[in-house]
Amino acid sequence: MAVSEEKQMIVNGKRLDGRGFNDLRPISIKAGVLKRANGSALIEWGRNKVLAGIFGPREVVPRHMTNPKRAIIQARYIMAPFSGQEEHGRSGPNRRSMEISKVAKHVFENVVMTNMFPKTMINVDMEVLQSDGGTRVAAITAASVALADAGIPMKDLVCGVSTGRINGQLVVDLDKTEDNYGESDMPLILSPRTGEVLLHQIDGKLTKEEIAQAMDMSFEASKKIHELQVAALKGRYERVLAETENGNNGGGN
Amino acid sequence: MENEKRTIVVPGEKVFNDQRRVDGGYADAAGTFATTMAMVHEDRLVPLKGYYLPKPGDFVVGIVKEETFNGYEIELNSPYDGRLSTRETRERFLVGDVISAKVADVNEIHEPIIAEPRKLGGGEVLDVESVKVPRIIGRNASMVETIKQHTKSELFVGKNGRVYVKGGNTALAIRAILKICKEAHTGGLTDRIVALLEGRE
Repeated sequence: MAVSEEKQMIVNGKRLDGRGFNDLRPISIKAGVLKRANGSALIEWGRNKVLAGIFGPREVVPRHMTNPKRAIIQARYIMAPFSGQEEHGRSGPNRRSMEISKVAKHVFENVVMTNMFPKTMINVDMEVLQSDGGTRVAAITAASVALADAGIPMKDLVCGVSTGRINGQLVVDLDKTEDNYGESDMPLILSPRTGEVLLHQIDGKLTKEEIAQAMDMSFEASKKIHELQVAALKGRYERVLAETENGNNGGGN
Repeated sequence: MENEKRTIVVPGEKVFNDQRRVDGGYADAAGTFATTMAMVHEDRLVPLKGYYLPKPGDFVVGIVKEETFNGYEIELNSPYDGRLSTRETRERFLVGDVISAKVADVNEIHEPIIAEPRKLGGGEVLDVESVKVPRIIGRNASMVETIKQHTKSELFVGKNGRVYVKGGNTALAIRAILKICKEAHTGGLTDRIVALLEGRE
């Protein structure tokens, strides 16, 4: 968004919400929140709230899109009409949500083992309930947890974060104000195990050196997000494990 | 698998340092990694989540989905529907009928041909995850026999993650099966199921 005057967004080395340059907003991820979907996850990332649901593998509709060698992935990112303060999502799918759906689809095509389910379709639906900047990375992070929750075989749990420049300073995880009034924004999705970059977009201008530095910052921050994803998935099973082990003390197993 | 430490892994997590061909895993130069949520048990991966892919010889519980000119399409709790030819049976089925059947053949893209259909009626159908079926059956069908003994129910456990329960104390049988599914990855399960069935819980 073009603005006439520069906004002061860094005061005494802190950002508007009190975070340091490398700090993420508070993130919580919950897996398996929907009963009817094969897999689901809800992510709360600062003021962002994104619900992801997985359906499939199932029969392909429309049928002519069937691939006899692998499953096709249909990703759908959309913002709820009540999600933002602006016009986002108010009129259904638009250029922006179609673009994000497309890039999300390519992210998942790289990690999901589609060759195991020929002639089927996997639907990845990401619903932004509340937005505050960085929803595409939040949505893909949540969808990745939902895919694992559904039991769809994949090579890695993808995650990511956006990094950008505000008031000449590179910062991690921009919120809406920083995104709108900052100088640039660079969402990045990666496969944490191999370090492969699966999505890399830049809005605004960054120098070569800044991009390299921003990528390092994103990689570092993504490690924390990946830990949260793993905890969300393992948590349910480990809770049951702990309960039964406590109940079995002296039970003579 | 009673007294070992159970490690739960997520997709992309390293399972073995060397390259191995295991179900639910994939290997590259760095080692062997999990592809789904699973539990590492000795040298294999026990999946906690997954889909049923039909294999020849499997006994399954299906639901008639559609009638076609030469047979039926059977819904199998799987990404792939089964095909049942009218040549296999003299019985006529209606859409919605529950049948037990055998997977006769599967083609290279997992599409199954169904044989030996038998109509099931008067009972209840329970959908569970197909990866939990080995645990419901137990070693040498011990678990399923325990449930049968205590509840006097007739049980048919389909490999596709569908359980048909008829007669006896079905409510108790279903509670036991759901408990098995919830605690499939834990140890000492048989004892706890017996306790539930005997009303000690």
